[in-house]
Amino acid sequence: MLAYLLNLAILLGIAVILAWSLNVLIGYAGIFSVMHAVFYGVGAYVAAQFALHVSADFALATLAAMAVTGALAFLVSVPVLRVREEYFVVAAIGFQMVASTVFITWESATGGMGGLTGIPPARLLGFELVSPAAYLALTLVCTLACVLVLLALVRSPFGRALKALRDDETAAIALGKHPVMLRLVATTIGGAMAAIGGSLYAFYVSFVNPESFTLDYSVLLMAMVIIGGAGSLLGPVLGALFITVFPALLNFLQVPSSVLGPVQQIVYGMMIVLLMLFMPEGLVSAGKLLARRSK
Amino acid sequence: MSLELNELYKSFGGNQVIDGVTLEIEDRKVTSLVGPNGAGKTTLFNLVTGFVAADRGTVRFAGRSLDGLAPQAIKRHGLVRTFQNLRLFLDMTVHENVLVALESDLSVNFWSRANRAPAERVLRRVGLWDKRQQMAGELSYAERKFLSLARVLATGAPCLLLDEPAAGLDGPSLRLFHELVREFKDGGGTVLLIEHNLDIVRDVSDRIVFLDKGRIAAAGTPQEIFSNPVLGELYFGIRVGGARGEAAGHAAR
Repeated sequence: MLAYLLNLAILLGIAVILAWSLNVLIGYAGIFSVMHAVFYGVGAYVAAQFALHVSADFALATLAAMAVTGALAFLVSVPVLRVREEYFVVAAIGFQMVASTVFITWESATGGMGGLTGIPPARLLGFELVSPAAYLALTLVCTLACVLVLLALVRSPFGRALKALRDDETAAIALGKHPVMLRLVATTIGGAMAAIGGSLYAFYVSFVNPESFTLDYSVLLMAMVIIGGAGSLLGPVLGALFITVFPALLNFLQVPSSVLGPVQQIVYGMMIVLLMLFMPEGLVSAGKLLARRSK
Repeated sequence: MSLELNELYKSFGGNQVIDGVTLEIEDRKVTSLVGPNGAGKTTLFNLVTGFVAADRGTVRFAGRSLDGLAPQAIKRHGLVRTFQNLRLFLDMTVHENVLVALESDLSVNFWSRANRAPAERVLRRVGLWDKRQQMAGELSYAERKFLSLARVLATGAPCLLLDEPAAGLDGPSLRLFHELVREFKDGGGTVLLIEHNLDIVRDVSDRIVFLDKGRIAAAGTPQEIFSNPVLGELYFGIRVGGARGEAAGHAAR
């Protein structure tokens, strides 16, 4: 049972990092990206290749993954950010599909459908992180580092400029903001942060293949942010908690595995519809609503 | 630092909205644009601030051409505008709304904390310092108007383009608005104002430009414009020759 809970906690930590990284785009920059699993995947592949061929040092592998993924996010965003709103969503889906194909077909880099196997355990400061408890500690440190960076980011002039752009682009431009530049930086940061999640995942499961980085997972990440509440630090945590713990709960309730997938999809879909109708700001706004009702 | 508009033309779908406007907005003066709805006042603002490209004509500020520049570049040249519908950042605090305006020249800057003193000074001046932690969306209409004004005042830009800043304000608020414009002008600022409240226009303007169907129908001092019998009858509702030529209302609204 303890091993199961540790596993769940590590996966939750990774999901929180991914949801936060997507929240930089959706919540702060107003970019509805449906390609975030690509950056998660590239981060995982780069960290895996680094571990297999260079060093299993987690910090170095993660930095390499962040650099490559951040650069890719920047390069992809240059053309993609030229289109707006619904066209951006379509372009992002297109990019996700291209990337999924590349993950499958570029065998020398990704191992194709078989994936990359035999990723060695992560090493940090000379220690090999073999036990789940040690890996959970590493995940928590990464999560803490991400939240500190995000706190600094949203309270910085850059964070304010992003929020201004999200709230009213015309007014932000009138006040001198450069929308394309700001969004490029936001997508680069979001991509690089997703790579931290990818690196954690690759070292944790010691195996990566394209099935973990599909369009479905991009949509699931988006659901985490929307269900939890975009534009806040707590919202994506709640969303990640819901999306990660809910399947575990179904398992616990011994829902047959044949219907597990469809039940999850139906519940996520219903949750999003109901939240949009009654709590458009996500689960994070539940506290506010309760406070208002109690007055 | 004067603003010069030379032979500006703009049409939308065959409708000539701006029709050869040539105008020099004098430095350190308040110039008001008045005229009926659809006269082209806001379109002129959009042309000057780069939100709409002119079909023909040029705009120069402080001797430099603004033609073809993006709005954010025009802001960096010292021209800042407000909007008729305010366009506040409603999900940001009052303080953040002003800080964003202050930090506008650093489009990407993670670590620099702009000098917060100007934000505090401006917010205190417009009476919103005590509400600085409130969301802009929670403010009253008049407070939103002053936040919109605070945002542009905080930029330190030498030229403000204010689109109906006094609409809907009551007596004390109008007095405060008047004081703010006067202070800005006395500090060396230039204002181009669109306003339908003719009492305010008369009180704050050094010059009034009357726009009609995209053309300048008349320009002059408030006295000259308000005593023009044709304009007075047609647009201002003023009976020239009546007791102190009183305004019969805000006919141009």
